[in-house]
Amino acid sequence: MNKRAIQVQLGIGACAACLFLILYAIPYWISAPSNIRNIVLSPRFWPYAIAGLTGLVGLGMLFANRKPDVDDAPVNDPIQDPQAGLIRLAGMAVLMTVTFWLLPRIGMVWTTMLAFASLAFLVKTRHPKTALICAVTVPLLLYAFFAHVAGVAIPQGEFVRLP
Amino acid sequence: MSVIDSIMAGLALVGNVEAIVSLAIGIVIGVIGGAIPGISATMAVALTLPFTFPMQPINGILLLLGVYKGGIFGGSIPAILIKTPGTPASSATVLDGHPMAARGEAGRALGMALWASCTADLISNLALILFAGWLASFALSFGPPEFFALILFSLTIIAGVSGESLLRGALAALLGLLLATIGLDLVYGTNRFTFGDPNLMGGLNFIAVLIGLFAIPEVINMVWNPTGHIGKVQALGGKWVTFAEYKRCFRSIVRGSFIGVFLGAIPGIGAAPAAFLSYSEARRKSPNKANFGKGEIEGVAASEAGNNGVAGATLIPLLALGVPGDVITAIIIGAFMVHGLQPGPMMFVMNVDIIYGLFIGLIFSSGLLLIVGGLAIRGFKPVADIPKRILMPIVLVLCIYGVFAVNNNIFDVGVMFVMGWVGFFMSRYHIPAAPFLIAFILGPLLEDNFRKSMLMSGGSPDVLLRGPITWFFWALTLIAVVAIARGTLDKARDKG
Amino acid sequence: MKLRQLGAVCALGLGVTATAALAEYPERPINMVIPYGAGGATDISARTIAEPLGTVVGKPLVMSNITGAGGATGSVAVQNAKPDGYTMLFARVGSHTVNPAMKATLPYTLDDFRFVTVYEINPVACAVRPDSGIETIEDLVALTESEGTSFSSSGVGSMLHLAAVMVLDEFGVENPLDKAIHIPQGGGGEAATAVLNGTVTFICTNTSALANFVANGQLKPILVTTAEPVPGFDAPTAVELGKPDLTQLVGWTGIAGPDDLPDDVAAKWGEWMAAAAGDEKFIAQMSALGSVINVMSPEEANAFIQTQYETFRALVDKLGMRIEG
Repeated sequence: MNKRAIQVQLGIGACAACLFLILYAIPYWISAPSNIRNIVLSPRFWPYAIAGLTGLVGLGMLFANRKPDVDDAPVNDPIQDPQAGLIRLAGMAVLMTVTFWLLPRIGMVWTTMLAFASLAFLVKTRHPKTALICAVTVPLLLYAFFAHVAGVAIPQGEFVRLP
Repeated sequence: MSVIDSIMAGLALVGNVEAIVSLAIGIVIGVIGGAIPGISATMAVALTLPFTFPMQPINGILLLLGVYKGGIFGGSIPAILIKTPGTPASSATVLDGHPMAARGEAGRALGMALWASCTADLISNLALILFAGWLASFALSFGPPEFFALILFSLTIIAGVSGESLLRGALAALLGLLLATIGLDLVYGTNRFTFGDPNLMGGLNFIAVLIGLFAIPEVINMVWNPTGHIGKVQALGGKWVTFAEYKRCFRSIVRGSFIGVFLGAIPGIGAAPAAFLSYSEARRKSPNKANFGKGEIEGVAASEAGNNGVAGATLIPLLALGVPGDVITAIIIGAFMVHGLQPGPMMFVMNVDIIYGLFIGLIFSSGLLLIVGGLAIRGFKPVADIPKRILMPIVLVLCIYGVFAVNNNIFDVGVMFVMGWVGFFMSRYHIPAAPFLIAFILGPLLEDNFRKSMLMSGGSPDVLLRGPITWFFWALTLIAVVAIARGTLDKARDKG
Repeated sequence: MKLRQLGAVCALGLGVTATAALAEYPERPINMVIPYGAGGATDISARTIAEPLGTVVGKPLVMSNITGAGGATGSVAVQNAKPDGYTMLFARVGSHTVNPAMKATLPYTLDDFRFVTVYEINPVACAVRPDSGIETIEDLVALTESEGTSFSSSGVGSMLHLAAVMVLDEFGVENPLDKAIHIPQGGGGEAATAVLNGTVTFICTNTSALANFVANGQLKPILVTTAEPVPGFDAPTAVELGKPDLTQLVGWTGIAGPDDLPDDVAAKWGEWMAAAAGDEKFIAQMSALGSVINVMSPEEANAFIQTQYETFRALVDKLGMRIEG
């Protein structure tokens, strides 16, 4: 990806977001009462203003990009194996979804232990033993601190409860 | 009673071991609380409050103030070391503090953060003592139109933190403004983008967005490129900040302190905008402009001066008017009231010994902060030596606990994860995160004050220009916009 | 599953016992949800009662502030919790009578909760700036009729919002929504500041929120809604002014669980509250903040809340204040 591609993609994205907001999202997802005295007081006024500005910025990006002097150098550091990188990203997305789903069900301590270990192995840590030890101790220490020192009701889940 | 008598009465109250020890314990609790993301200064103060009930009033209040001041500094430790602001106020510190840590200069950054914090704290306390009455009556002349003008001006700092492209900065800011509209409408109480979900009705939790935007993209980035950091130094480094550097940044620190004092005296703004404003002013005035955002020590100094400058000044409306400026001072007011003290003009007549006792205690607090902060930096030193692929899972787990603890709501953990991906894609597209954050903080204030002004005037825009304060900020806004436009055009011409 | 087992072994090592189903309630800490932020009236009230209550209960009470949407976020968290008595709510006038009366889209109704007690009543007072020229409630009404006034609140659907409208309505202002402009603020503290700096004409809120300003002479009370005068507030009561209906307009704090809370749990709470609220330190601290401690049995609490809800609902329907969107 180079600078020009970024600008074009963002410009198109901003214009599309602007149209989507104005034509669909704001009218359908924001409810406004019928007896508004003044248009500027409507709950929709401010979002419309933001949407309009987004469109302008989008057009600005497309327009500013027409100048020929933008350099074509890639803007992000290359990585060794992009395909494996994408798979790891997908793995991270799954990890987060599962974590969120498990939190109220089996409790925060057990979930974060699993999340810790999975993440450490997802990135192929060079210290697997340390990772495993930390995966068990860090959530327990944090639990002890938050639950007993800070007095926070850390979710415990249905199964094994900690004191 | 003359001033001398008042000071003597105050000294009699705090001139004992207990008062100083309370203050020191408070600072220690604050620094530790601030350094743990999710605890933050607010929660640390709330947790300490019940312990002050059985104490002497002055000691109890000094304990809370110590927690507050320690917490605001403590937030900068994780901001620099693991790119996770411990409190919202330290989010500006991330911008230059973390790049310094990545270069192996975490020690320098932390040292400068501490020195800047203590200096700003001292200035802020002196301002409180000298100008409390005057600044308080000034703060009370801020109605919705004045707030609107002030916040509009504050939004121009977005240009200062946009980095290479103003348009991309503007896009980030608009996204922040848009996400800030989620929740119940202020004036009519109707739903905006909530989809009937009670968790969304309260709006997106600020800390969840903040941590999601800064810390989680780091984790995702490491998943994308697990070996990217190898070969780069990531250690505290032997280097400590030098006095010459402190002297070089001194102007920025003083300027930041006064910005903090000014914004702190006005209820309802808070420390995060002060830090950003101070940062952007320092950048504007600095000869090393281009280096800001890449690990410029002056950026760290300015941000920390801005947020610590607020800490003493928020006591101005609290003591002089009984008006809390933010959540933390609202809790501290609770402590006053439990002890039967009623902050406000009468307190300067009825309990003048306590007022002066507090002032004297506050002066001590800057010195104590320097000692405790120095020890804390050494205590947190090992963090910089943890291998990155062990550190990142720790950060992830810490963020999950911390974000949950803020509002006891698992939904916020989900918000943090989603914002993490938003932040990751923003960084891939080189969209800066700081404008997003500033807009997310200031957007609701801008909209609410605009609509309150319109309610006051019955829809006439004249009210937005109703007095000298509004004229002043409109003029500043105009000057800033012209300067930004000229700067952008010059840059375009240089290229062409 | 290796990790799960590892975790389980660790947990056992720490001396964890699995939950036995049939044991004496409570056998573990109780999570008490406060649906408003730290430092607010509900929070202070909840944390003050928690001390004597925790001693009576014998297990720790864990206080959790879940804020957002005028108390709705925290209330929903309890509505959806398991009705085992281990998740209870500090319900407040705003979240449980004003909000249900005003908001059609609220994700809960009064029937979703089982109240075990109401333990604290906060009188409501209306106040103006001392230099506003308004001396009595009649002056305020006259000004509202002639020039129009404005009032602040801590948000749409808050008790402050309804209180101001109800007071004006009781004193005979027709169409109070048109003559008095509602300027909502972000919270109770901001609402009081708005009167101080002249943004609005008056505010009606809990005496605890005003006591400080009244004591300092920054605000002047013109009405309290109780039958008895409130100490420190030099203003006529609603009964003295011949408006006894306004005594319905009081703030309160109570404790509720999800609606299918078992009877034995509710009964336990009744006993605990009766014992805890007698604590002298608690009474002294709450009275200093202007509250009246009055522990109601579950039946009394339900009747009290229902009556207040119906009064508010009737006013909301009469003036067309209900929020449908």
